[in-house]
Amino acid sequence: MTLLPQFLLDALLLGGLYCLMAVGLALCFGVTRIINFAHGEMIMFGAYGAFLLSVHFGIDPLLSLPLVALGVALIGFLVFKLCVQRVLDAPHVNQILLLFGVGLILQNIAVLIFTGDERSVTTAYSLASDQFFGMMVAYGRLIAFAVSIGLTVGLIVWLRISEMGRAIQAVAQQRDAAKLMGINVTAMYMVSFMVSAALGSATGAAMSFLLTITPFMGFHILIKGFAIVVLGGLGSVGGTLIAAFVLAFVETGVSYYVPEGGGWAEGVALAVLLMVLILRPRGFLGQAVDN
Amino acid sequence: MRAFRYIRHMVMGALCGLFITGGIAHAQKVIRIGAPLELTGKFVIYGSQGQRGLEMAVEAFAGTVAGHRIEVLLRDIQSTNQGAVSAMTDLLEKEKVDFLIGPIASGLVSAAVPAWRQRKPLWIVPGASALSFEEAIAGESMVFHTYAWGYGYHTGPANALAAAFGKGKKVAIIYSDGAYGRSHLPDARKHYTEAGFQIVATELVRENAADMNPALQKIRLTKPDVLVALMQTTDGIVVAKQIHVAKLGIPILVGSAFPQFQTWVDAVGEAANGWITAVAYLAGQAVPADPKYPRIFPAAKDWEAAFTKKYNREPELIDAMVYTSAAMLFLAIDRAGGGDKERVAKELRNLGVETIMGEGKFVPTPGGAVNQAFNEMFVIQRQGDKIVTVWPKARSNGQFKPIQ
Repeated sequence: MTLLPQFLLDALLLGGLYCLMAVGLALCFGVTRIINFAHGEMIMFGAYGAFLLSVHFGIDPLLSLPLVALGVALIGFLVFKLCVQRVLDAPHVNQILLLFGVGLILQNIAVLIFTGDERSVTTAYSLASDQFFGMMVAYGRLIAFAVSIGLTVGLIVWLRISEMGRAIQAVAQQRDAAKLMGINVTAMYMVSFMVSAALGSATGAAMSFLLTITPFMGFHILIKGFAIVVLGGLGSVGGTLIAAFVLAFVETGVSYYVPEGGGWAEGVALAVLLMVLILRPRGFLGQAVDN
Repeated sequence: MRAFRYIRHMVMGALCGLFITGGIAHAQKVIRIGAPLELTGKFVIYGSQGQRGLEMAVEAFAGTVAGHRIEVLLRDIQSTNQGAVSAMTDLLEKEKVDFLIGPIASGLVSAAVPAWRQRKPLWIVPGASALSFEEAIAGESMVFHTYAWGYGYHTGPANALAAAFGKGKKVAIIYSDGAYGRSHLPDARKHYTEAGFQIVATELVRENAADMNPALQKIRLTKPDVLVALMQTTDGIVVAKQIHVAKLGIPILVGSAFPQFQTWVDAVGEAANGWITAVAYLAGQAVPADPKYPRIFPAAKDWEAAFTKKYNREPELIDAMVYTSAAMLFLAIDRAGGGDKERVAKELRNLGVETIMGEGKFVPTPGGAVNQAFNEMFVIQRQGDKIVTVWPKARSNGQFKPIQ
């Protein structure tokens, strides 16, 4: 019982982080039907962007977030124009292999530019904490949680109320009908890909003061993000939000209440994913994706 | 006159021909060193340091040894077992090299052992501290291991802490679930127990875990005096930050290797304060030059200055370790008068040089390794901006300071 409040808090904060890891991936798949296997590298470039701006110009990662997001959105634009646009109607396996290859190239570009040294941003708040009601609250994680929730809610609102957001939703729901309504489908694909990359980079910036930045950090995050997107239902931003918190609570619960549970946490979480997919193949809020 | 000119041209032509042929013959006298290294992938930090160390060593010999040009055949093993096997097979079967240096990471070196057994060239291994590798190469006379075995990370700190704080203290261990953490765990348990400590908690975390706080909170309940973290630097950064934030109140923090790296200190900031580790090399130590080969094995400060000038950064452990290992190999080739691997192996076994890593002399180990150098480690603690050597006493320049 002593650990219960801390467990609840840790799970909540981890859920926020997971949400940010996966929401960009969910948007990209929901609209383009392409699983962006280079999404982890967008997160990695976001983290390096925040790190470089912090070290060389003293800019806090939170303040550098818009700049970093803009920069990585441009990388997303290039990846879309040079690669993704050419395989929009290709079989899924071609798209996956292409983006996996793009991810590997981006990783190695990062090795050449940044070397393989491990890095992390150190700010005053990233090492600060206080005790409230028997819980140790880490300010860095709390801030990352706030950024995550802010960006996810912002994305949902943008998709609902802006003209472009609604056009993107229309393309996601029925591409041919959207085209008949005069929506430039390719342009909407491009915008979603860029927004997805920008969200990935925001994840990287928010994680730059919590985790270790390396050229290879993206792959683990991609796998986790992919599991969350599948659990939530491919393409559903709301489902992704729910799945992120479910996975975070299961993992943290196992870590707290099972002996040496840290080693089992991910396995149990993936078992939950498997169970959900058996009982409800679309995930929590997913749409049919058989086309 | 014309005939004379003709003869002169013929002679000149013949001389030029001889010179060119000689040149070609000279160019063909090459010592080829295979270097399968982690140049990409998750252990790229090891491979890039290894590459720098090798470059420095080749430069120290001006690219030539025993009249042979040194040719380093770098192969990227991509930090994967399959990459290590492919690179070794390529170097041994296609390139037919007789000398190998690398890889560095324990798991990758172990994966390369079966490929090495095909031809058994002279193999310098400047890394791989896992005891499973020591068992795998037991009795192999062509393997030269130039780094301390894993237990060195635990015997030193355990004995040093027991001497400083007395026996009966409580130890908690947090380890990662990868090969590194798991291979260190039995040794850590054994040596801390033997030194008189009581192990009160052992907590597992996933490699690359975003949240280690659950493990840390469970450890907090056991109120340990010492926390030992067994993980690679990537996880060492996260754990150090989260320990600092969690305010666990544990006075002594020990890391397996990561606290020695400047990259780790830069990444964790003030959370680095108080961490203890065992090291085989540390930049800035007063180590004199070898009296017989001062150009190859200069004083540490001179070598470090040359390294910093060339690469615009301080050398780290693997930079120094690969430099020293390669320089010892080149010296042995020089003394053997060429690339006969049996003679070179004999010369390596007979070497005794003073290096930046300590005494460079190969001896057998109780674990079965035939040729082992640099097995001694010393214990350091990060105290603010300073690094204090706290053990052994003969080498220490300060005392342990528990974290307040």
